[in-house]
Amino acid sequence: MATQGGIVFQEKVSRLLRGQNGKPVLKPNRALVLKDAVANRKPKKGEASCITEMSVLMACWKQNNFVDTLCSNEINSFYMCVKKAQADAKNKAGQSNIQGRRLPPKQATALLKRYPNLCKEI
Amino acid sequence: MSSSCRSPHRLPSLSAKNRKIRLQFTQTQQNSIKRLEILFLVRWSRYNPYYLEPEVSKEAYSRPATELSAEEKEQRELKTLRPIKAATSGVSSSVFDDPVISKFINMMMEHGNKVLAREIMTQTLENIKKKQVEKYHKASEGEREAIECNPYTIFHQALENCKPVVGLASIQKGGKYYQVPIPLTDNRRRFLAMKWIITECRDNKHRRTHMYEKLSQELLVAFGKEGNVMKKKYELHKMAEANRAYAHYRWW
Repeated sequence: MATQGGIVFQEKVSRLLRGQNGKPVLKPNRALVLKDAVANRKPKKGEASCITEMSVLMACWKQNNFVDTLCSNEINSFYMCVKKAQADAKNKAGQSNIQGRRLPPKQATALLKRYPNLCKEI
Repeated sequence: MSSSCRSPHRLPSLSAKNRKIRLQFTQTQQNSIKRLEILFLVRWSRYNPYYLEPEVSKEAYSRPATELSAEEKEQRELKTLRPIKAATSGVSSSVFDDPVISKFINMMMEHGNKVLAREIMTQTLENIKKKQVEKYHKASEGEREAIECNPYTIFHQALENCKPVVGLASIQKGGKYYQVPIPLTDNRRRFLAMKWIITECRDNKHRRTHMYEKLSQELLVAFGKEGNVMKKKYELHKMAEANRAYAHYRWW
């Protein structure tokens, strides 16, 4: 299943393994075969959401001695903000909208597992 | 497939969960033919994510197709095609079925004794009703309207009053652990409120009072926005307010 220029690549690899003057350049301890999985990336640490809403709520609490009935507006706006942030996080996790962007590692692994590298004929 | 054997082996008892069909052969036939046992399992505790949740309430089905939005129509279409999980024995389509109360009963239950937990809950509601009706009859005309007699509304309002708005999470930064104020999900808030009520009743009351008595006292007091559970909630809020400087340590 060699692509265009695949033969040239194979020859280069065999030259590296054989080596010049009997000294091989590569001494692989594992077979030179691609895995059906991609390494996981460290998830980017985001920012804390709804900090302003929380600080407004806490200021209201401080003023009114933590009575909830007097701060009901702030509480509601805080809940709305939290809901929105959760919905945003859910949406962001699911999609790879733009074509130019790289697939997230989990999706890449799933795709590779469906079309694995065939190393045996059976 | 099980092999034919001379000695009869014990088969699991018939239950509502799995219906079994066993074909009986004569002794001679058994000696030569393998005995077939076909088991049809219908209820699991872990389902394939492909399965959908059952819709138990009757109102959801009595709505005509014209009333539904596009999403709900799609949902109905999906339900005709996908398999659906078996409904647990804790839910019912009766008018008296309340998911919040069922959750509270489950949290009160110990060692799987659902009968006892349900009994305590019904006694609690009865007790609340008795106390409120007594108060109603003793009150003057003007005050009577303000007294709430429905134990279910009292339970829901008391739970709502006990729910905390923000919680604290232990987050590690630079080798030290800080208590960071975080927003809580609705499920987490409901769980905390119920847990506080139950532990308060179990630990901080006189040992010779019945659980339903303790619970009814606690719920009525929480309905009036007083009591130890409210105090606990306020202390949590105060801690969160004191630690508001660490709010930026969150990353979600």
